[in-house]
Amino acid sequence: MSDVMTPKTPQWWKKPDVKKTAILWVICTAVIGFVGVAFHVRSMVRPASETMASVINLMRIFTWAAAPVAGLVAAMCITVLTSGRHYGNNPPAEADHEIRNSPRTVAAWVTISGILCLFALVVGMIVLQKDSQAVLDKSAIQVNVTGQQWVWNFDYANGARSQDLYLPVNKPVVFHVTSVDVMHSFWIVQMGIKINANPGYITETAVTPDKIGVFDIRCAELCGILHSYMQTKVHVVSQADYDAWLASQAATEAKA
Amino acid sequence: MTTLINKPVSAPGKSIIERLNLFTALALGAISAFVVWRLALQFLPQDADGVRILTREDKITLLSMIAWFVGFMTGIGALIGPFRWVMGKDLSHDENMFLAGKDMGAKRYFRYTTDHKVVGIQYLVITTLIFFLGGSMAMLIRTNLGHAGGGWLHPQAYNSIVGTHGILMIVGTIIMITGPFGNFIMPIMIGARDMAFPRLNALSFWLIVAAAVPLIWGQFIGGISTGWVAYNPLASQAPLGMDGYIMFICIFAISTMVVGANITTTVVRMRAKGMTWNRTPIFIYGTVASVALALPAFPVFFLSQILSAFDRALGTTFYNTAGGGSGWLYENLFWIMGHPEVYVILIPSVAALMEMAPVFTRRPLFSFNVAIMGIAGISGLSALVWAHHMYMAGWAPLLNAPFMITTELISIPTGMLFLVLVGTLWRGRLWMTMPLMSIFALLWNFMIGGVTGIYLSDVPADAFLHGSMYVTAHFHYTLMGAGLTGALASLVYWFPKMTGRMFDKKLSWISFWMVQIGFNVAFIGMFMVGLAGQPRRVEAYAPTFNTGNLVTTIGAYTIMAGMLVLLHGVISSWRNGVIAPMNPWQAKTLEWTVPFPIPLENFDVLPTVSSDPYGYGKAKP
Repeated sequence: MSDVMTPKTPQWWKKPDVKKTAILWVICTAVIGFVGVAFHVRSMVRPASETMASVINLMRIFTWAAAPVAGLVAAMCITVLTSGRHYGNNPPAEADHEIRNSPRTVAAWVTISGILCLFALVVGMIVLQKDSQAVLDKSAIQVNVTGQQWVWNFDYANGARSQDLYLPVNKPVVFHVTSVDVMHSFWIVQMGIKINANPGYITETAVTPDKIGVFDIRCAELCGILHSYMQTKVHVVSQADYDAWLASQAATEAKA
Repeated sequence: MTTLINKPVSAPGKSIIERLNLFTALALGAISAFVVWRLALQFLPQDADGVRILTREDKITLLSMIAWFVGFMTGIGALIGPFRWVMGKDLSHDENMFLAGKDMGAKRYFRYTTDHKVVGIQYLVITTLIFFLGGSMAMLIRTNLGHAGGGWLHPQAYNSIVGTHGILMIVGTIIMITGPFGNFIMPIMIGARDMAFPRLNALSFWLIVAAAVPLIWGQFIGGISTGWVAYNPLASQAPLGMDGYIMFICIFAISTMVVGANITTTVVRMRAKGMTWNRTPIFIYGTVASVALALPAFPVFFLSQILSAFDRALGTTFYNTAGGGSGWLYENLFWIMGHPEVYVILIPSVAALMEMAPVFTRRPLFSFNVAIMGIAGISGLSALVWAHHMYMAGWAPLLNAPFMITTELISIPTGMLFLVLVGTLWRGRLWMTMPLMSIFALLWNFMIGGVTGIYLSDVPADAFLHGSMYVTAHFHYTLMGAGLTGALASLVYWFPKMTGRMFDKKLSWISFWMVQIGFNVAFIGMFMVGLAGQPRRVEAYAPTFNTGNLVTTIGAYTIMAGMLVLLHGVISSWRNGVIAPMNPWQAKTLEWTVPFPIPLENFDVLPTVSSDPYGYGKAKP
């Protein structure tokens, strides 16, 4: 700051406040990246499908892509805040320069934000493409999901019905989702898939569970008084257990 | 105005326009509503047995509310001008002066007053009231969510509080800058004597008052149990309170359209001599962008609610699949309004802070042109992104990718706004005041809000995040963390011009830190539970979400305390703060060149402008 009036102005990258900002930039980027990723990954549920694992991965990538930008803004703010604050009822002396624009800075800023934006788009598109193709898998298990105030009903190909979802591990599943009354949203939390259930329409989503266990299904669209309680479980079991359950469930259904 | 013939001016105290005020309006509104309600009850036919949807109650409610609206607006005097004009007699000069509130003291705040400064103060008061109500509801929500399992509120009441909190805060934040400061400060800032259409200005304010009543009324007849989006078909099965919401939105949308036409015309036509577009302050750009964006958006909102009212009261099936309609139609209409609307809220806040940045760093605004490009870019793109709210609707999966592109492109003009703010701060001389620190707060909050927005704009990530508390935290970071921060800074910055007194410095600092810290605590907690899988708008949650919710509730109470400190600051500073000098911040925009109290038409001699208002800093030798 103080060296501006020296006879020979140093190149801009040699000025002390620029150097300070550069160091802070590296530190801030690292801190924001690590803290941001840790916050997201630790808070998020453990994945029970590759879809969810790729969501967590996307969060990681996006956080690291955003960290340098956020880090630069933070570094500049810290530099400014730590050099020459003025308190009092009257304004400080005016700044000793009158820079109104810097085309090079603007160009660099817009180019870099454009590249980062493009990067985020491409990464997202690749995953999106994969997710949307999963729906077309004809060999997958087909399950019809019907939302109604305030329960989920699942219909399987062999005529079995249930209100808890049963799925075999490592087999692709396609869900055909609809509703009988108002709009609901079918969300298998740990598998990272969600699709709205609309009365009169069938919407589709697909996933391949890759962990045996019990996971959460919640309604993610306000659907009336008991929306908070419109939850159920998905039981991911081995293929043998699944076949056995399916047969017994179909038999019960046939008797009823 | 020119009158060809000098008609005899009616004696003072006799003219009807001098008798109308808020109380005649309330009385006439209430009487009309009651009469129509009684008549409708008497004469409307009963619903036939076996019809699919019962609509008689909705018809009665809507008719009564329309009667209230017409009665109130007549009682306040909104129709006098048009009526006289139709009769071929325009208002006389004295009557116009009376309408402007000449020599009327406090009474003018309760009348159909056309002076932009009066309207500005009226807007400030009603914004405060809305935030107070909406904030109280937020506290009820957070208290209810203090522990896992069901809260102490009935689920229906809880849903209604969530919906009312949402719509109140949306409306409050829409008007928080363009209302008080767009009306009070903006005309002076451009060197005008008043708005282009002073009577429309009064109309826009009183429409909001008229709109508020059906919303409150609705709380007593079932409430808004649908969340603020009021998605169909849930809205068509909701109780009568929904009709209050519909009326509220319709009247508010008219108000917004009126403001949009008025402010845009004022800025285009009435800037001071010499104030070219390159010399127009950036706050003006922000205000115009905001209201101009609302101009195409709010008619769609209006329309969406009219169709909703038809479905409810007349048994049409616009949104009913069984009758050939679609809930997706509503979603589209709603978000075609809903996404531009968030920028209606955000842009003027950022622009206000851009206006303050040069003042408190004593250096020129960095890259005025880039600031305008940023505002224009956001405004343009914001009209093309609405379906990112519908990635998971299943409406058109093939459109997810294009909407993902437009949405992520918004990060480029948004980045420009960051560049302008950071560039202005860089090597500035910081004058440590609450408005200056608000710039840093905005950068911090808006960065978090913006980056989480990128996660949400990504379709695969959104498949997990959509409809969770993560979304709630994200938009609170943008609308409250960024938007409201700018509005509170504007309040402290323009307080001396609006009230003649300085805002108490200590109280402004205390409330600033309480609100900002409380805010970040509250919504970091909400991000946590969202990531862990807690859906939005639930009144009960699993014990795993305990910690995050407790953190959020603690943060929310801190915000409340900070806001109460701010309210105390407003009241105490207004009553007995330090008398403000004419230009306490030594800023260079025109509003600081008028004395307090500001004369009725602001300027004796209209100013001329010969440079932009950012000429701080020493020129290079």
